[in-house]
Amino acid sequence: MTTRTGEWHADPALLSRYLAGDLDAVTGASVEQHVSRCETCRATVGRLLEPQLLERTWAGIRDGVERPTPPYPMRVARRLGLPEPTAVLLASAASLRGAWLVGAFLSLSFATLAAYASGGTALAPFLLAAPLAPVLGVAAAYGPRQDSLEALIVTAPYGRTRLILLRTLAVLVSVLPVTALLGLAVPGPAWLAAAWLGPALALVPVLLALAGFVGPRFAATVVSLVWSGVVLGATWAPLAPTWPVEAAQQGVYVGLAVAACAVIALRAGTDRQPGVAL
Amino acid sequence: MSTAPIVADAALVAAVADGDSGALRELYQRHGAWLHARLLRRCNDSEVVVEVVQDTFVVLWKDARRFRQDGEVGAWLWGIAFRRMVSRLRSRRDVVLIPEWDVLPTLQQVMPSAEDQVLLGVEYGDLAAGLRRLSPEFRSVVQAVVLDGLTTKEAGRLLGVRENTVKTRLHRAKAQLRATLTEPQEGWR
Repeated sequence: MTTRTGEWHADPALLSRYLAGDLDAVTGASVEQHVSRCETCRATVGRLLEPQLLERTWAGIRDGVERPTPPYPMRVARRLGLPEPTAVLLASAASLRGAWLVGAFLSLSFATLAAYASGGTALAPFLLAAPLAPVLGVAAAYGPRQDSLEALIVTAPYGRTRLILLRTLAVLVSVLPVTALLGLAVPGPAWLAAAWLGPALALVPVLLALAGFVGPRFAATVVSLVWSGVVLGATWAPLAPTWPVEAAQQGVYVGLAVAACAVIALRAGTDRQPGVAL
Repeated sequence: MSTAPIVADAALVAAVADGDSGALRELYQRHGAWLHARLLRRCNDSEVVVEVVQDTFVVLWKDARRFRQDGEVGAWLWGIAFRRMVSRLRSRRDVVLIPEWDVLPTLQQVMPSAEDQVLLGVEYGDLAAGLRRLSPEFRSVVQAVVLDGLTTKEAGRLLGVRENTVKTRLHRAKAQLRATLTEPQEGWR
């Protein structure tokens, strides 16, 4: 750690001027180069700097070192720039855990495989699974049974509507891209790859609106049964395999979505109490 | 100062790699202060400096194994800290890097005390005079690459110019300095 400077050391007055920023650029750079290599002068800088500043930094380092590594979804959420409390709330949702996502991905893959194997005549498995994956994900993202933080959330002054919408958004972000990719592999007309988005995005607000009255589990059951009825009914009738996602039906989904959003907004507006609306 | 035998920095880093938080504390006591001081000369926001130093030591805690035992611990820590600072600068516009070479034009006229002269002489030979004669663009490149140890690519990002511009400026700055010094200095790539 010794340098060419040998036994020379900057005196405290010079170092104070350096710390105060009173040295011109070249002298400052020169002091800096010396200090970074000289143990004695580093120690002098340590005595001259505010002890509170050094203590504050050390407290942060200790926290950073002692804190356990957060679970993976939380790290992803933090990486995306979400504040830590939000990341914790998201990560505790059951449907944002790895196991759930893998399950959703597998069932969607099998549905796609079935549609692919049939050569486009049997689209029912894909049309059944693709819109229900986000719906079930959202339903599992909150509620007393799924949420490990439920007891905390009920007592915390944190808007429940906000929490639920936040988690809904997170579920959609985590499920929709995979489904969209798989949709590209489904045989049939090109627009089919995007057409399932209509019911998928419509069923989520319907679920949320229903959940406000009967709870997420029951609402998810109702929505799943109704959607299965639509898809299987169309297959049974028999209508074209793409019937559930054709233009006229898409209009109905949009209408449903608008109505559901209106119900949610109304209830959120009348019930000021957090947690009642959803 | 205690009478206990002084452990080398590199040995302390090895101890940190084995999970010794006492060694981390000791390294912080040795290197924390000057890192603060050096960063504070480059950033006007002490909150940012505190966070950068914290990040640096947390990185040290996690990545101590990556330290090459033949290197200098101080230089290694500075490399981590300054790179953190530069990347922060890119993501946060409100942090301002003090344009160090352009501040205090009046003080530049004032010749440093005899002691400073000794210091400059020992560290750089006639380099100080040469550096003073460089244009601000050239000096900021010399500062970023030679003194602060960034790569030309990183320096380009920091200074907001293309990497090739940095290389050209550095090349010309070195040529100018060589001319000032009459004989080429060792250690200038």
